[in-house]
Amino acid sequence: MEHADVLVVGAGASGGVVTGALADAGFDVVCLEQGHWPDRTDFPALRPTYELEARGGWGGNPTLRGKPEDYPVNETGSDIATLMYNGVGGSMVLYAADWPRLLPSDFRTRSLDGVGDDWPLSYRDLQPFYERTDRAFGVSGLAGDTALPPGAEFPLPPLPIGDGALRMARAHDRLKWHWWPAPNAVLSRPYQGRNACAHYGSCMQGCPEGAKASTDVTHWPNAIKAGARLITGARVSRILTDARGLAIGAEYVDTEGRWHVIKADVVVLAANSVGTARILLNSASPRFPDGLANSSGLVGKRLMVHPFANVTGYFDEPVDAGGHVGAKIVSYEYYETDPDRDFVRGAKWSLAPTGGPLNAALPSRAGNSVWGKDHHAHVRGHLGHSLSWCIFGEDLPDEANRVEIDDSLTDSSGIPAPKVTYRVGENSRRLLDFNIERAQQSFAEAGARRTAVESLMRFSGWHLLGTARMGDDPATSVVDGWGRAHDVPNLYIADGSVFVTSGAVNPTSTIVSLALRNTEHLIENRREQRIPG
Amino acid sequence: MTDDNLRRWLGGVADELIPAGDGMPAATEAGVAGGQLDLVLAVRPDLARALNRAWALAGEHEPAPALRLLADLDPRAHQALLEIVSGGYYTSSLVRRLLNYTGQQPVPVRPEDHPAYLAEGLLDRVVERGPVHRDPDSLSRRQ
Ligand SMILES: Cc1cc2nc3c(=O)[nH]c(=O)nc-3n(C[C@H](O)[C@H](O)[C@H](O)COP(=O)(O)OP(=O)(O)OC[C@H]3O[C@@H](n4cnc5c(N)ncnc54)[C@H](O)[C@@H]3O)c2cc1C
Ligand code: SF4
Repeated sequence: MEHADVLVVGAGASGGVVTGALADAGFDVVCLEQGHWPDRTDFPALRPTYELEARGGWGGNPTLRGKPEDYPVNETGSDIATLMYNGVGGSMVLYAADWPRLLPSDFRTRSLDGVGDDWPLSYRDLQPFYERTDRAFGVSGLAGDTALPPGAEFPLPPLPIGDGALRMARAHDRLKWHWWPAPNAVLSRPYQGRNACAHYGSCMQGCPEGAKASTDVTHWPNAIKAGARLITGARVSRILTDARGLAIGAEYVDTEGRWHVIKADVVVLAANSVGTARILLNSASPRFPDGLANSSGLVGKRLMVHPFANVTGYFDEPVDAGGHVGAKIVSYEYYETDPDRDFVRGAKWSLAPTGGPLNAALPSRAGNSVWGKDHHAHVRGHLGHSLSWCIFGEDLPDEANRVEIDDSLTDSSGIPAPKVTYRVGENSRRLLDFNIERAQQSFAEAGARRTAVESLMRFSGWHLLGTARMGDDPATSVVDGWGRAHDVPNLYIADGSVFVTSGAVNPTSTIVSLALRNTEHLIENRREQRIPG
Repeated sequence: MTDDNLRRWLGGVADELIPAGDGMPAATEAGVAGGQLDLVLAVRPDLARALNRAWALAGEHEPAPALRLLADLDPRAHQALLEIVSGGYYTSSLVRRLLNYTGQQPVPVRPEDHPAYLAEGLLDRVVERGPVHRDPDSLSRRQ
C-alpha cells in the first residue's frame, strides 16, 4: 500500500504552497487532486466565442459546469452560489488575481468592534509571509498604500491602470477619498521564466500566457522537481483514523472508478472551505460520529463568502479599462468601522473592466439588456464606455451559514455532496447599501452619465472561508493557531476554512501566507509531531 | 435538430431582438440563424436543448408574441434564446469590425516608469491624508 510522510488533499492555492514547502524540506509528499492539469492551449481566451464559453463550460459554478471532476453543491438554500475550479492550480485557474491583504483590524474584530472573534495571530505575524508569497507568486503593485502598515516593495511594478481608472482616481482626489493602484498576482514584466501579461482580458477563464499566478505555474513544477508526487484524477472520499484517533491516510477513487487507500504520517486538507468541510463531515466514524475533528460542532459552520454588490458607471466618453480583469485601483475609504454608521466593519472596492460585446448585450453584472431598435445604442453605450466598482462586503461569522452533507445528492463517484445554507445578514445588507450609495457618488464625481446597481450578485461565491476556524480553545474552534486539528494531532487544514473572520478583501494572498507559515511551523516541529505507529 | 423551419423561426426572433439600425446589420444578416448558430451550439451544446424547447413552445407564434410567451412560460429557454442570438451576433467578425472591437488581441503590457497619477501628484495627496486603517497596536486613524 502506498505510503507518504505527508498526504495533501487538493492541489489548489494552499495545496501547492504546502506541498512545495514540504518537498523542499525533504519530506516525501503525495498530493491527491480530483481534477487534472489545466490545458493552457484549451483556454478560450483566443477564441471569438470566449465570452459565450465563459457563460458555459468555463463558468465558475461547479454544479452548472458539471464536469466529471466537479462535485455538485446543493445551494437552493443559499443567497449566493459557490464558485471554484477543480484541478491543479485550484480556483486560482479562474480567479481574477486581485491580491490584497487583510488589514490589521481584521485580525481583531472582537476587541475593536465587539463582533466576530479575534484571530490567534496578528497582521504583523503574517506580514513576512505576505512579503515572501508576493515574491513566490510574482505580484505587481506599488508599496506605500495607506490602507496597510509600511512594508516591503512588491517584486514587480504596478500594472498600468488605464485612463478609466485614472479618471476615477482623480474623482477620489477631489472627494479626498482613498484610492491606490491595485496589487495583482499578474506579471507586469517577465518573471521567473513566465511571460508578462498580454492583455487578453480573459483571466477568469484561464490565462493562456501563464502571466496570472496560479500554483500550476508558480509552485507545482518546482514541487514535482523536488520530489513531490501529484496524483490527479484522485478524489478523496474520507480521511481514515486509527484506534488512537490519529489520521492514517485517506480513501480515494480514481477516474476509472477504482478505489484506493493511501497511508501517511500526517494529513493536510487543502480542498477549500466547501471541499474540506465536506471531507471532514464525510469522515464520520463511531469514534467521530459528527465528523472528523468536529468535537466543537463547528466543522462546516460559519461559512463566509463576502456578499458582493456591483455598481456600473456609464460615461459618454470612451473609458479604457482593458487588460487584466482584476482590480485596476482599489479604495479602502469605507473599510473600517465608523461609529456614526448603522453597521460595523466595511467593504473593499475594486475598479474592474466590464467585458466585451456579449457582456454589453447581456451584462453578467450590474446593467440591463435592451432589445429591438435601441439595442445598438445600448451596446455602444456600454462597450468601452463603462466601469464597474466591485464592492466586497465583510461577512460576519454566523453559525447558521454552513456547509452540510446533502441527504441525497452525490458526485459522479457516488460520494455524498455538500449542501450550502447561506443568508446575507442584516449588518451586511446595511453595509452594502451604504457602500453602493457611495460608489454612485464616486461615479457621479467622475462624470458618469448614469449608474446601474446590482445590490447582491448571486454568482459571486468566489471566496469560500471559515468552515473550520482557528482558535486557541478546542470548544470554540476546529484547528489551533497553526492549522492543526484540536481533536486529531496529525491532521492539518491549510485552506481558507481556517479563517476566523472574513475581512472584506479577496482572500488568496492571506490563504497562501497562512499556509506557508503553518507548514514551516509543522516542519520546524517535526520531532514533536505525533504520528501513527 | 437545426432544420430549416427552426432556423427560419429563429431568424425572425433574432431580427426582432437585434434589427438593423445605427449602421449595424440585423441579426440574420450577421448569420445568427445560419453559420453563427452552428458555431454557438458547437461551443455551447447546453443551449441546444433550450432552443428546442423554445421552438416547441413558441414556434408557431410571430417573433414578438413568441418572446413574450417564452418569458412567461419558460424563462430559461427565453434566456437561452437571448444567449444564442447575441452570442451568434457578437462573435461575427463583421459585427466586431463595425463595433471597432479589438479585444482579446495580445498587447504587451508596458508598466510606465512614471504613470500619470504620479506625475499629477494624486498619490502624494493620498499619503498626505494619512493612514485609512486602524492599527490595533496604536489605534491610529485619520479623522
Ligand atoms: C472566478 C473566481 C474569481 C476569484 N477571484 C479572486 C481574486 O481576484 N482574488 C483572490 O484573492 N481570490 C479570488 N478567488 C478565490 C481564490 O481562487 C481562492 O481563494 C483560492 O483558490 C482558494 O484556495 P484553496 O487552496 O483554499 O482552494 P482551491 O484553490 O479551490 O483548491 C482546492 C482544490 O482541492 C481539490 N479538491 C476538493 N475536494 C477534493 C477531494 N475530495 N479530493 C481531491 N481533491 C479535492 C479541488 O479540485 C481543488 O483543486 C476567485 C475564485 C474564483 C472561482
Ligand atoms: S489579461 Fe493578462 S493575466 Fe489576464 S488572461 Fe490575459 S495575459 Fe493573462
